[in-house]
Amino acid sequence: MIARTLVVALLLLAAVVLETAFFSALTLFGFRPDLLLLVTAAIASRDGPLAGVRVGAVAGLLGDLLLSSSPVGLGILVYGVVGALVGWSRPYFAPTSVTAPLLLVGAASLLGTAGYGVLTSLLADQRIGAPLVLQGAVAVGLYNTLLAPVVMALVRRVSDAFPLRGLGVE
Amino acid sequence: MFQRRRARLLLALLIATAVALVTIDFRSGEDGGLDRLRATTTAVLRPIQDGVGVLVRPFSEGAAAVGDLFAIRSDNRELRARVATLEERRRVFDDLERENAELRALLAIADRTELDTVAARVVALAPSNFEWTITIDVGSDDGVERGMPVIDGDGLVGRVIQVTGEASRVLLAIDPSFSAAARSARNGEVGVLDGRGGDPMDLRLLDPAAVVEVGDAVTTSSYQGGVFPAGIPIGTVSQVGEDGSSLFREVQVNPYVDFTRLQHVLIVFSTGIDDIPAFEGSEGLQFRRPPVPSLLEPEAPAPEGTDGDGDGASDDDADGDGAVGDGPQPQALAPQALGSAGRRVLPAP
Repeated sequence: MIARTLVVALLLLAAVVLETAFFSALTLFGFRPDLLLLVTAAIASRDGPLAGVRVGAVAGLLGDLLLSSSPVGLGILVYGVVGALVGWSRPYFAPTSVTAPLLLVGAASLLGTAGYGVLTSLLADQRIGAPLVLQGAVAVGLYNTLLAPVVMALVRRVSDAFPLRGLGVE
Repeated sequence: MFQRRRARLLLALLIATAVALVTIDFRSGEDGGLDRLRATTTAVLRPIQDGVGVLVRPFSEGAAAVGDLFAIRSDNRELRARVATLEERRRVFDDLERENAELRALLAIADRTELDTVAARVVALAPSNFEWTITIDVGSDDGVERGMPVIDGDGLVGRVIQVTGEASRVLLAIDPSFSAAARSARNGEVGVLDGRGGDPMDLRLLDPAAVVEVGDAVTTSSYQGGVFPAGIPIGTVSQVGEDGSSLFREVQVNPYVDFTRLQHVLIVFSTGIDDIPAFEGSEGLQFRRPPVPSLLEPEAPAPEGTDGDGDGASDDDADGDGAVGDGPQPQALAPQALGSAGRRVLPAP
């Protein structure tokens, strides 16, 4: 369990570093992918809502502390909710489907980015308008969907190598 | 099921924590504990971010460059088209700038000489290589008449020799059939200017001993009823012939006007010389032609203001229309005037 936690933490750290260092030049319509959200959604779609909420909370905290100047807690809230929603919706998709998890992660990225944008607009920066939020949500949703196969493959390997054990595992 | 319940519980806890954190962050201001935590996290992760950034930046930029290739190609096409458009615009702009300068020069000379003028555009050159004329886009509908002087921003261009409703032909000053009364601007020495079919033009000064130097400006003169208003710039003296070798002093004049680049010209309506006002009570006076001296009789002194032969034209004016030189000449003159210069001759006593 500790090993899994460390590996997932490393995964989140790698995501945040890549997001800030590598993808700063690779934008889609001016927006970078949200790798923290992508990892959260990927883990949630693989391991369920509990893992999704946990990873989402950590990813959100990391994002709040590193990526933005918006109030600490927004990321925790949004990423945690996304992780939970993706985990809860997992049983409704066919386990053998290839496209369903991709679409799920893409939709989660879109909704998560939109929610984060709306909350930021309400609580921190009122200059962020609805068109910008919509534009960002669509761009990040697309970008994350494109990157989802790679991230989900990586998450699957981590999950297979360090499976969840103990109470609360379905 | 158990995970779902735990997940709900955890999510509720998470939401409560998040709301609490947001509230604390808002209330703590800029130096709160959360800000310090944020600063610490940034300080810890910055070296990692920098190191990873240095390592992956070339790949990142390379990937971005690959992605940009398609955009660059279309950008290149767009920019090439834009460059072509701008080049075309620049050429048009150059032409407009030159035209603007020409028109400004025309306005300037019109103001300077206080002449009543109408502007015209040169629409054609003479079809012949031995006729130095131009066709302009104004004619009798605009008030143009034969014999009217034509100038441009640099100086004398020629005179109108043919007029239709909407066009006119202008005999250029360099045409061999063109002649005009001219004078040195420096000392007023007068003479007759003739075209030669190109640069320079010939100026025959009436005084064989006239002092003229290279570089002296030459302007039109109203001497002996020349058709051109006085003071229109013609050119500068480029060569001075020897004195005393003939009845005239031969001088060559380089015209100011570039006759190969005429685009816009002005047709001069006014003569630039005010009419001499009539004496009080002279309205009823009748013009009486001065006596013409017989060739067999001794020559009587000519009345002041005439040219001596009594025809109202200079000795060079063979066709007697008030202009010097041969070739197509302007309109016939009123009997009370000498040329179109508007100078009246009083009846002989």
